[in-house]
Amino acid sequence: MSLVIKSEKRDLFGKNASRRFRKGGLVPAVLYGEGAESVPLVLAKKDIVMILKSETRENTIFKIAFDSEEKDVMIKALQINATSDELLHADLILIAMDKAIRVSVPIELFGEAVGVKTEGGFVDFMTREVEIECLPVDIPERISVDISGLHLHESLKVADLTAPAGVKLISDPGTVLVLVQVPHEEKVEAKPEEEAVAAEAAAAVPAEPEVIKKERKKEEAEEK
Amino acid sequence: MLMPKKVKFRKSHRGRMRGQAQRGNTLSFGEFGLQALEPGWLTARQLEAGRITITRFIKRRGKLWLRAFPWKPVTKKPTEVRMGKGKGDPEFWVDVIRPGRVLFELEGVTEDVAKEAMRLASHKLPVKTRFISREYRELR
Repeated sequence: MSLVIKSEKRDLFGKNASRRFRKGGLVPAVLYGEGAESVPLVLAKKDIVMILKSETRENTIFKIAFDSEEKDVMIKALQINATSDELLHADLILIAMDKAIRVSVPIELFGEAVGVKTEGGFVDFMTREVEIECLPVDIPERISVDISGLHLHESLKVADLTAPAGVKLISDPGTVLVLVQVPHEEKVEAKPEEEAVAAEAAAAVPAEPEVIKKERKKEEAEEK
Repeated sequence: MLMPKKVKFRKSHRGRMRGQAQRGNTLSFGEFGLQALEPGWLTARQLEAGRITITRFIKRRGKLWLRAFPWKPVTKKPTEVRMGKGKGDPEFWVDVIRPGRVLFELEGVTEDVAKEAMRLASHKLPVKTRFISREYRELR
């Protein structure tokens, strides 16, 4: 049974109204997709938080109820204040349950790489999500990858992934997912740390960079 | 010290620092990061001091990304010079930081190590910062 979230159509717009909604524990949202007219909505913040906390997170398909109708939707985008972590707005997209959709699914790593265990490397998780195409019911929570066989300087690419049944990988097969790297070596001097930091930061008096405009003027003068 | 290789103009206006960072405000590369919570000018020296502190602390582990670059020249008049006679010469380079901007990112270290490294680096910076990670953060 899919989750049903209650919402209301919104006829108040702009930052004044939106702030009032947010103060009351609501979030302004918009619903669009499947060629339908976009519908401004307002829904409870706690419902969105509940969806984000679920296993499938943003890829959760739920029903939105408004005007005595229920529609299958998922979260397309969220606006979150970068410093206060306040949820500002939600974009919801209509989903046709019989049509394949493209979504990003997180990659989960398991196992400890040989390169880390015995060869002194570290795991650089370069691509954390891959794009897939599948029917809404087939969207996996995550794609798990075993990295225990990776030696130093070895990598796993999108091509190495085994997609679950009914799922097609869209991301470029050459995209590197994980790489076992050698950590960058930093020269450690005998100086006390504070002194060394200050000395290094104060070193190298900056010379002036090249000014592009001057070059052009010279070129123009030469042309004349 | 970090500075641009080429510039279009030697000197720039001071500008304003209104609003929040609209770009560079999320983790793009690493697992952990240091996010600015105040606006300010970060000089090349401050960024370099932060970078050195982090690399020293994490020793030979992990990978560090610098997400800020001092692209803006700051001019200064020499001491005991009367006002006027034009703008001073470029003295140092800064990056204009707005709240939300991710300054450093770390990968390949444990959360405790990353937290401590970022804490040490934050003491080298003139703005308030907070430690962030990719784990779900409670929305307000």
